[in-house]
Amino acid sequence: MGRLGFYFDNSVCTGCRTCQVACKDKNRLEVGTIFRNVRSYESGSYPDAKIYHYSASCNHCEKPACVTACPSGAMYQAEDGTVICDTELCDGCQACVAICPYEVPQYIEETGKVGKCDACAGLRAKGENPACVDACLMRCLDFGDLDELAKKYGGDLVNELPILPDPSMTNPSVLINPKECALEEDYREVTI
Amino acid sequence: MSRLIHRITDRKMSRRDFLKGSLVATATVTGLSLAGCSSTDLKESSTASTTAAATTEGAASTAAATTAEATTEAAAEHAPVVDLEQGGEWKNAACWHNCGGRCVNKVYVVDGMVIRQKTDDTHEDTPDYPQQRSCIRGHSQQQQCFGADRLKYPMKRKHWEPHTGGDKSLRGRDEWERISWEDALDLVAEELRYAKETYGNRSILYPSWGIVLYGDMPKLLGMEAMGGFGGYTEVADTASFGSFGYNINVMGLPTMAGGNAVDRLTMRKSDTIVLYGCNPAWSSAGNPAYHYLQAKKAGAEYVFVGPEYNVTASMLDARWIRVRPGTDTAFLLAVAYEMLQLEESKGDIIDWDQLNRCSVGFDAEHMPEDATLNENFKDYVLGAYDDQPKTAEWASEITGTPVEDIRWYAEKMGMKNKVCILHSFAAARCNNAEDFPQLFYTIGMMGGHWGKEGHACGNCYHTASGNNAGNMVVSGLPGQPTIVPNEPNPDCFKGPELWQGILDGRYNYTGNYLMGSGVDMPSEEREIDIQVIIHEHHNFLQSQMGLMKGIEAHRKVGFVMTQSSWLNTSARYSDIVLPVTTLWEREDALGFNLVSNAEMRVFPEKVVDPLYEAKDDLWIIRELATRLGLSADAIVPMSDTQTRYNCLASATACGPDGTMTPIATITEKDIKDWGVEGTPQEGLMPLDDFIKQGVYQIPRKEGDGYQYIGWKAFVDDPAANPLPSKSGKFEIYCEEKANIVNNMKRSTVKPYPTYVRPLKGYEESFSDWENKVKGEYPYQITNPHYLRRAHTTLDNLPWLRETMPNPVWINASDAKEKGIKEGDTVLIYNEFGKTLRPASLTERLMPGVLAMPHGAAVELDEETGIDKAGADNVLCGPICSGIGTSGYNTTLVNFEKYDGPALEPDWTWPARVIEF
Repeated sequence: MGRLGFYFDNSVCTGCRTCQVACKDKNRLEVGTIFRNVRSYESGSYPDAKIYHYSASCNHCEKPACVTACPSGAMYQAEDGTVICDTELCDGCQACVAICPYEVPQYIEETGKVGKCDACAGLRAKGENPACVDACLMRCLDFGDLDELAKKYGGDLVNELPILPDPSMTNPSVLINPKECALEEDYREVTI
Repeated sequence: MSRLIHRITDRKMSRRDFLKGSLVATATVTGLSLAGCSSTDLKESSTASTTAAATTEGAASTAAATTAEATTEAAAEHAPVVDLEQGGEWKNAACWHNCGGRCVNKVYVVDGMVIRQKTDDTHEDTPDYPQQRSCIRGHSQQQQCFGADRLKYPMKRKHWEPHTGGDKSLRGRDEWERISWEDALDLVAEELRYAKETYGNRSILYPSWGIVLYGDMPKLLGMEAMGGFGGYTEVADTASFGSFGYNINVMGLPTMAGGNAVDRLTMRKSDTIVLYGCNPAWSSAGNPAYHYLQAKKAGAEYVFVGPEYNVTASMLDARWIRVRPGTDTAFLLAVAYEMLQLEESKGDIIDWDQLNRCSVGFDAEHMPEDATLNENFKDYVLGAYDDQPKTAEWASEITGTPVEDIRWYAEKMGMKNKVCILHSFAAARCNNAEDFPQLFYTIGMMGGHWGKEGHACGNCYHTASGNNAGNMVVSGLPGQPTIVPNEPNPDCFKGPELWQGILDGRYNYTGNYLMGSGVDMPSEEREIDIQVIIHEHHNFLQSQMGLMKGIEAHRKVGFVMTQSSWLNTSARYSDIVLPVTTLWEREDALGFNLVSNAEMRVFPEKVVDPLYEAKDDLWIIRELATRLGLSADAIVPMSDTQTRYNCLASATACGPDGTMTPIATITEKDIKDWGVEGTPQEGLMPLDDFIKQGVYQIPRKEGDGYQYIGWKAFVDDPAANPLPSKSGKFEIYCEEKANIVNNMKRSTVKPYPTYVRPLKGYEESFSDWENKVKGEYPYQITNPHYLRRAHTTLDNLPWLRETMPNPVWINASDAKEKGIKEGDTVLIYNEFGKTLRPASLTERLMPGVLAMPHGAAVELDEETGIDKAGADNVLCGPICSGIGTSGYNTTLVNFEKYDGPALEPDWTWPARVIEF
């Protein structure tokens, strides 16, 4: 049994952001707080430019910087490898917010605490998928045992892209099927 | 857990408080305070529950089991994670908007509040038998139905007065006063009666698209009531369909080009799929983009034609054939020319067999009998009549398409390639585009792409995108009688001429063909004095071209009323506003006929009781009819329960052999329990199971017998299966087409497709075309459909505003020339209006072209005359050509960095909440 993590097919994502909103719905997030964030990027120049999208949430890293940094013990790694924030213990110091290279933990002003993706632990406990996975219109998200995901989706899966931080810092539990244009070093974020 | 829910409801979402509106007043920006519990409540959940770990018994997946274990372990020292899904029930909710997608939406209801949504989980998800997953709008709909800005009570404008309108200049900026339903209905009835007696029925404008959408379902304010009252003036807007919005049957094409493409499994047999101006990921969200992906995986290459290389094109790695807005006729004429050249030089390009058997007018040897002009398409293309061969070079100057791309495209269209040529209506939503339909289908037939497996030539619009195959699941009508909705051939404005016509008191009457329910008529200059405007759900003030003139017109007439669920633009500029329930609050069957695609139909149920004082449309019609001296029972004789039953009972599913079987098995007991008139029937499943499932979908797989190939019967045997044209064939020369368009006296076309320089087209962006001197408004702008809203609705939802910021897209080089950087506030303007938007710079848009999403609700600064919302119809002028086409995509503008205060993000703007 390997670690649990997300699979993301970057090659067919249309950037529709249904995962982002399904996540907001399931986690009851007000505007301003986003646990799964889709961003869009262009590479190449007119008329050969392409657009691609990256759906980012907690990578449930093998070496989670947020857990190491958390002074209260709120941020912890469950046995299945997922990284969970116990809001009972969180005192809102935001050390995790500062250190996560993926900018995942979100400080929520109303509660004075941090929140983040727990890969829908509650749903998974009932045998369901994370909300984002079951909402994805292009079926480009999945969650599970990384070894099994690698077997299922094959190909040249990676855990890094030019738009992402160096994975050696935290060893993110994510498998990405990259779109060719997403491998270009010369990219820019765009608003759609 | 029940304790948890109580705590949440007590503190944050008590239904009683919600209905009192006490929370509404404070929730001006965010929506969750109303839509259900928010993340702040999740904290409580962790202490209150017995949770997940305890409920994992029997959990199937490895992941789940592992998590459960971990959670159990962690529970010793960490608070367990909780799912809020307790103490309520999942219901099948309607998602009924005119978005282009059709999907399953489920909502979890606790104590009358929706606290979570999800989409289709009625069966396993596979590419052949996919779940009908809903998009960001579907998932956000709780914020629409429970929105802080729901209209809560009937209200009237403070400075409105009966009969005179009071201070009419205050429309759109007046204060509101709450009134009772009794008063509101009495006042509306009195205004209608007064207008009828004083000015006649023609003075009442009821912009209903002139049609009864979706059978007899909507029964909105009252085509029947208003018909019985003596009639009203209509509006026919070509809207989505552009220049397909006239009687193209005369050429042999189906009404609005409906049908005749290909089903999604057969599409996988194509070599090449052309998406002509399509962006299904945005304009048909749901499954269509996923269907196209399956064809790509099966080996098809994609070609995208249009001015912007959009997200769908990029996802499919389509080859981009760039064509400037409004120049598609020039592009396709050059494609025809180059196909003829390639046919001569290489051969095997033109399918002469199909062309000669199935069409008339292509060349001098195949002219229709009624031709009065000794000209044909081929000789025009070769330059016989104007000394201008329509070469790739000729077109390239106009279209901006590289010459080699036009030739490549022409070769690709050749008969040896299995090509699906699929079009949206974007290229038709242009001025002087009346030749586009005929020309598009001509190219398809030249290459022999009609009616053969692996080929297609048709539309892929709206719910038919990616799967244009006819309905396999259908529902009958609810059974309310259809009374003649209006007088025959009533007065009817064409959309773009509406507001100016009201201001001028005269207009060019040219009939009302829209959707084939009326007729095209020759031009007739008519005087008219519009005194009353009735708006219902269509939000006409926002959705018609020439919005600034629309506001002027609204401030001219005697009385304006709106029935709506939100303070949309039409409501905002009204005198009396009636609050209407959403489909989540209704027992009626309206949703049944709105939510379907080729393979499935959703049968939603009532989710919550009506909010505030909102009433159903049918109730309003009955009340109003009575006040107008009409028989409410004659107009709405059937109960909601009966109409709902009728729809469920008449729902049928198609078998592979074409036989239709009722879906519901209905017993005597069912009929008795429902208290309705009905007959027992055998179906596919018990009625209760069908209602619980809330959707019926045909499980498809390869070779399942549901194959659909458009035009096949006609192409196989044209004589036995004639088209609706006079010759029975596709008329590339069509005398009647020219007569229809030319008799409307807005512009002139030939019987065969030619290039007509479009009004407000690329050439007009130059003050001196020959010498290429740019004019006052040197940029073109288009209005793509946008995921933040469905046309003008849903735009007010906090999650959608946050997720989709609604910028104006500008080619990066154009922006650089103007010193505009990413995120700068930009003023976009022309002679019709001015609007603001944050800039988004892109390399995927042709230089000289801007794109601003369609449908934003105008937010006008009365002092400066500047709209800050990016309302497209502020820039799309009240002008038109041809059949009166709404030519949104032929709009010229200039733009500059705005020197006023920068725009704040839309999601930070206050919602349109009316407090009493």
